[in-house]
Amino acid sequence: MTAFRVITAFIRRDFLSERSYRLSFALGALATLANLAVFYFIGELFGPALAPGLAPYGTGYFAYVFTALAFFGYIGTGAGSYAGRLRQEQTQGTLEAELSTPLGILPFLAAMSAWNFVFATFELAVYALAGLFLFRLRLPAANWPLAALVFVLSAACFAALGVISSCFVVLFKRGNPVAWVLNNFEGLLGGVYFPVAVLPGWLLAVSKLLPVTYAVRAFQLAVHRGADFSEVKGDLAALFAFDLVLVPAGVWLFSLAVNRARKTGTLGEY
Amino acid sequence: MKNRGKCRFAGTHYNRSAALCYHCCMQIEALGLVKVFPAPLFSGGRPLRALDGLDLTAAQGVTGLEGPNGSGKTTLLRTLAGILRPDGGALSADGETAAPERLRTLAALCPANPRTFYFRLSALENLRFFGALAGLAPAVSKERALALAGRLALSAEDLERRFDRLSEGNMQKVSLIRAFSRRTPALFLDEPFRGLDEKARAGLLELIAETGRGSAVLLSSHLPELLRAAASRVIKVEAGRTL
Repeated sequence: MTAFRVITAFIRRDFLSERSYRLSFALGALATLANLAVFYFIGELFGPALAPGLAPYGTGYFAYVFTALAFFGYIGTGAGSYAGRLRQEQTQGTLEAELSTPLGILPFLAAMSAWNFVFATFELAVYALAGLFLFRLRLPAANWPLAALVFVLSAACFAALGVISSCFVVLFKRGNPVAWVLNNFEGLLGGVYFPVAVLPGWLLAVSKLLPVTYAVRAFQLAVHRGADFSEVKGDLAALFAFDLVLVPAGVWLFSLAVNRARKTGTLGEY
Repeated sequence: MKNRGKCRFAGTHYNRSAALCYHCCMQIEALGLVKVFPAPLFSGGRPLRALDGLDLTAAQGVTGLEGPNGSGKTTLLRTLAGILRPDGGALSADGETAAPERLRTLAALCPANPRTFYFRLSALENLRFFGALAGLAPAVSKERALALAGRLALSAEDLERRFDRLSEGNMQKVSLIRAFSRRTPALFLDEPFRGLDEKARAGLLELIAETGRGSAVLLSSHLPELLRAAASRVIKVEAGRTL
């Protein structure tokens, strides 16, 4: 069994399933554009002069929040999709059927969210096109190779967080503290909607515990100011350290959770 | 080359002088098998001892399991298929200790509940998906699905139909096709006759007999006539033990 065949099968399955809900698909795309328009008009209302916290990035509010949302939307896919997918499989009774096959944990994890990443890539393209043609956004100084490196390190880190979060779904079905933190605090403390520099000292200290802070800052600096490697090496080192711990921990914990569910006979429960 | 045969399950070659292929003469053995389901936390309930030192040998051929509701038949089949981890006792395949990971490679299970498919996908797409997880190429999955559907009186139109638009009986047929199409050395069928019409039952009996010629088939049923028609020996399970 090749991992490629498994991943392809999952993507095909999810594509066919999503296609059968056409209205939801169209409304999702419209919601993305409406969301962007809100930040565009906020940016228009206040203008770049009223945003001194953005000075290190050398850009206005709309451009800042636009790239942060596009970036966070993609890497956040990893964080949110594993638990969501798993919960869906539990409730429709297919999780146990999948895990009754010789499918290993690694290919399963790689395949489970593959469609979500494909769809997030499509959304990213929508963002890019909207930014270029609708909102006339330009990023002339961007250091794209460095942005890509930040992207890869961040995506791995958030996927690992998503896998850890899905362990709670396997074991407790509902009640997921990792997802709760990710959903409620990443936006507030991670610098997605505003730079973390505007936070009070004690919240700033908390924000340093979250990988999103390093990911968004490094990405924004690379994209808006064209920062080079030496300027973001601290953020890259932090992301690398998170990856080093979280990726193996995620796979290990997920194996433990599935084995525990096999032991208690709750793999098929929801 | 004269001494080499090809395994019909694994597609690999084996030495004929060493008796039969490892895959084709599968014998699954359970010794003192124990499975306890813990009570949910803070529920005040007591753990459920579903298997209580059960012994069983399933070799090439068809073995039937009978017993009252809650006697442990389903738990036994799910444990032998590697879905559940046993809490005690020993499980072996051809004399070697078999971990759940290995059992999932060697065995396929048709569960008692056929609603374990993606409802928004067609039956054929579902079979293609689960086939891929079992290592089957899409063309092989389709070919086997079409052949087995004919045997179970499931029309080609129904194979193309969305799963949630199938009748319960046809859902059961799709579930049977998923298990049979893997062609594993061990096949476990939990209440396989449920919801099937007469023609499909006859087709299923034929399929079970054919499969039993090369595999270890274990099936449970509350329909004594069909169970005896399918199985050359029937074992009674009660209170988590074989009698």
